[in-house]
Amino acid sequence: MTTQPGVREASRATLPLASHRRPGVRREARKEGLFGYLMISLAVVFVAVFTLFPIIASLGLSLFKWDVISSPRFVGLANFQRLIHDGPTLHSFGVTVILAVGIVALQLSLGMFLAVLVNQRRSAWAKTTFRTVFYLPLLASTAAVSIFMGYMFDAKYGVINYYLSLVGLTKVPWLTTTWGSMISIILIVVWQQVGFTFVLFVAALTSVPSEVLEAASIDGASAVRTLFQVKIPLISPTILFATVVAMINALQLFDQPYIMTKGGPGTSTTTATIVMYQTGFQNLQFGYASTIAIVLLLIILAITGLQFLAARKLVFYQ
Amino acid sequence: MTSGFGAMDRRTLLKLGGGAGLASVGLGALAGCGSSNSGGSGSKTINMLYFGQQSSATALQNALQPQITKLDKTATFKVTGINGTDWNDFIAKILTQIASGSTPDIVSVATEGLQLMASKDLVIPLDSYVTKDLSSLQSYFDDIHPALIESMMYQGHLWELPDSFNAGSLFYSTDLYNKAGLSEPSATWTMDDFHTNASKIAKVSNNINAFDWVVRLWGSWTSFLYANNGNLLEEGKYPGGDWLWKSAYKNNPTAAAGRAGGWKWGTPTANSAASIEALQYVIDLQKSGLSPSPDVGGGGTLQGLFASNRIGMTIGGGFWAGGLHNAGMKDGSFNVQMFPTWKSNKSLFGAGGYGIFKSSKNQDLAWEILKLMVQPESFDVIFPGNVTTPGRKSLMTAERYATTGPKNWQVFYDQLNGSVPISAPPYYNALATSLNQRTTQAISSGNAKAALDGMQSDFEKAAAGA
Repeated sequence: MTTQPGVREASRATLPLASHRRPGVRREARKEGLFGYLMISLAVVFVAVFTLFPIIASLGLSLFKWDVISSPRFVGLANFQRLIHDGPTLHSFGVTVILAVGIVALQLSLGMFLAVLVNQRRSAWAKTTFRTVFYLPLLASTAAVSIFMGYMFDAKYGVINYYLSLVGLTKVPWLTTTWGSMISIILIVVWQQVGFTFVLFVAALTSVPSEVLEAASIDGASAVRTLFQVKIPLISPTILFATVVAMINALQLFDQPYIMTKGGPGTSTTTATIVMYQTGFQNLQFGYASTIAIVLLLIILAITGLQFLAARKLVFYQ
Repeated sequence: MTSGFGAMDRRTLLKLGGGAGLASVGLGALAGCGSSNSGGSGSKTINMLYFGQQSSATALQNALQPQITKLDKTATFKVTGINGTDWNDFIAKILTQIASGSTPDIVSVATEGLQLMASKDLVIPLDSYVTKDLSSLQSYFDDIHPALIESMMYQGHLWELPDSFNAGSLFYSTDLYNKAGLSEPSATWTMDDFHTNASKIAKVSNNINAFDWVVRLWGSWTSFLYANNGNLLEEGKYPGGDWLWKSAYKNNPTAAAGRAGGWKWGTPTANSAASIEALQYVIDLQKSGLSPSPDVGGGGTLQGLFASNRIGMTIGGGFWAGGLHNAGMKDGSFNVQMFPTWKSNKSLFGAGGYGIFKSSKNQDLAWEILKLMVQPESFDVIFPGNVTTPGRKSLMTAERYATTGPKNWQVFYDQLNGSVPISAPPYYNALATSLNQRTTQAISSGNAKAALDGMQSDFEKAAAGA
């Protein structure tokens, strides 16, 4: 079996019809094809078992009423009809979208700001240090971070309000008011996730061709103008990727609000995934929980689709 | 089991991927599709689910194994610890295990989950076992408070053997009481006394709060609600239970007087005048700076703050004796008193006990283990260090509390008189979720009535769907 693709491709180029005529070459090609399938089979099986099959099964489950303990009962689209009139669950979708938009907007803008600052540094040591520092929170356990942050944001005893009081500011009821809790959740998620966006943007900015930047400089473009009219358009595919990934993650937000606020106060930080968990595992309505999951999946697909549609006009591919 | 058109066997759905379906939505890690029944495999492994750390579960397992071997030489006792912030969390995880097709033989469930598990036919009534072994259990019934037995009854049947409880009493820091120039409260103190004391404690320092509490069903603003002669649900009792009261308590008819077939939680009364007044009272405590914004569930933060003398008073049960001692508080630095009287001296409690799973293939042996676990000598093996209150009165001794305190340890048991179990109907989980959400909504908005109207609506929907 040929192990050097370059050699194989060259031989095909010079003898385009030979492979159709020579059984030995055909056998070799078949073998190679089989080897290729073998190589991707693990990934295909993984995706099928852990992604496709569960989605299909979840869709099936959404057509049943099932409390896990007794026999499931087929109810058709009744769960979907119920969802249309379920104010608290619809509200949770709204909360999810608001939080996701806040998280993505802040994560991307902060990630870009930090990346631009670091990219201007010439010292490789400084770049490496900043990359490590900003990426570190991403490695921490979300549950542990949420518990820790809950203490930090505590209105009465939290260290954040302590420092605010030192500079004469009044204590902020971070986790006990509607907007305070939403802002706290956004800040914490962004603090933990911004490292990922930052690393992507630093890599993208580094890959901007120097001759383009030199040309902009010779034309007299300011640093700000170079950033917005040269660098950002050139790295727009990376921005699209970062936006899509951040949005998908944010729409599945669970850990931080569940641990820090239990979805409160009231239902102000109750996201769709929290309602899904409560519906399924606390209220034993697994069919309806699956319905919520399917609708959330459709929302994620729709928002991702919109992002790609917008990308047609906004993203510049070299 | 198929029940006509549109119905499908539960196991079949699991095999078809019901559990996997949940995986796609991020729930699957919790809902496996296992088909093995660890307790029902025909082996003599008795599996028990325990609310706590695995290290404690293993210690319990190792401690009881020799006695279980005496019952059956081939039996192996396996205890699985399940962590959770509260009983709501614990019950959700038990149900997850059931969803995966893996059920234990014995389950330790508190009042919170009793009616839920009994109504879902997950556990078996113990009536026939109790009747059969009544003579050997007589010392147990003579010793344990009948209110605890009644709290483990549902629809006339006994579903668990209780061994522990916690009633909502009032803990206070003796140090802060001294600093505020207050004398310690008496057993007959009132809400006016409580408020006066709170106001004086708040003046000791800006860094302390006179009172703190936790958002949950047990020992929350609900303690004020009960003292205000209210409840979240209409109180009632199921008929029946005579089979037990007339036999096990034949020597003590006074104790059995008025007892029936378990508590029946009726129409929601979450937005009654008593509820609104009680919730508004704790909101006003916060507004006036006498209490901080409370945490939801658990109670670890509150315990830490109390142990560091930053909280003057809070609601706690016998479990706090060990908890505060373990947190470093010395005997004498805290004490406990009956919850203050408001419009009534009604208070609340939650009991803990053990039931047998219906799917267990070793129910007879499980019953023998249950009897073993409610023996007096088993209590400290299962709950070392005063982390709960013994249900058997003979275990309530000065010696027990000599190391941990508090001085008024008798209050723990006395509080049971006139108290009512927390209102945990079969739809407890939905009730607890709403209670947490609506309480935090009330604290955030300052409007108890609006939040309780919402809670009432939530309860009515949950009750209708149960």
